[in-house]
Amino acid sequence: MVSRCSPEWRDAPGVAAQANLISERAVELAHTDATVWDEALGALRGAENTPAEDPRRDFALEKKLTAAAAAPLEIATLGADAAALAALAGEHCEATYRADAAAAAALAAGGATAAAHLVRVNLGVRPSDPRLARALASERAAHDVAERLLESTR
Amino acid sequence: MSGMSSVSDSDLVRRCRDGDQGAWNELVERYSRYVYAIAVRGFRLPDDDVEDVFQDVFTRIYTRLDTLRDDSALRPWIAQLTRRRCLDALANKGRETPVDEAGVHEESADLADVEEAFAVREALATLSENCQDILDRFFARDQSYKTIADELDIPSGTIASRIARCLGKLRSQLEGRYDPEDGSRG
Repeated sequence: MVSRCSPEWRDAPGVAAQANLISERAVELAHTDATVWDEALGALRGAENTPAEDPRRDFALEKKLTAAAAAPLEIATLGADAAALAALAGEHCEATYRADAAAAAALAAGGATAAAHLVRVNLGVRPSDPRLARALASERAAHDVAERLLESTR
Repeated sequence: MSGMSSVSDSDLVRRCRDGDQGAWNELVERYSRYVYAIAVRGFRLPDDDVEDVFQDVFTRIYTRLDTLRDDSALRPWIAQLTRRRCLDALANKGRETPVDEAGVHEESADLADVEEAFAVREALATLSENCQDILDRFFARDQSYKTIADELDIPSGTIASRIARCLGKLRSQLEGRYDPEDGSRG
């Protein structure tokens, strides 16, 4: 919206196209996240009924949890991208819409936080897990941008 | 990417007529997906018929290249050959099962999509390699800004604006405009 309302900005259509794609990906990933988490939950419950010494139990569970970690991790990454795009829009858009760019960055940062939280808590990954490190880095990047934009429009 | 991928259609046709095997390979490589897309997406032919159409169209291109009047009109010529051959396939099928007239009309919308997709592909091929690469990474391979920045060793904060500028150039190409600001076409 910020890009579309800034006709003088030469790169605005290109930024709007990227925003559209990020938005479409976010919706797809949200659906994927719901599906794979359901499957992981089913596997967790199934594991309770499988003997602990059965080697297939841990393997199947690990596979489901890995798949379940992938979607929120991608959402966190997408949050960082959305915030970066909002930063670019905030820098070049018409002044009237700068606060909207800041709001977009804040929403993206919120999404990145929620996704990183899912990676960290729900999926039981260890603090040293590189997936968690990536999710947290995306969350941090998105928040840095959002705070900078919010501050500049207060 | 082969050495001939940047050769224009006119040059490609000329080289094919001169018996350049490399040029013929490039022509097949450049247009195989196009022929396939028209047959599958445009006419929804079954696999067996698609294979027949594919073989027949490229045989006709090979044997009739001398009859092409405007070398730069290779793509529309191939499209016409493919459409005719697809209609033949449908007509042959119609002798066995009636052709759905409404379905044939619906296919024109899909053909328009195929044409548009290939127009974009052609315009994309005129951009710089850097632009082609960054657009492919973001739009086709779903890479994040950070991944693109890490792999290309460029600052992460510049990726979105680079993509936007490349999209601007792509748009200019599609609209047939020249970009006077940077004096180049991509």
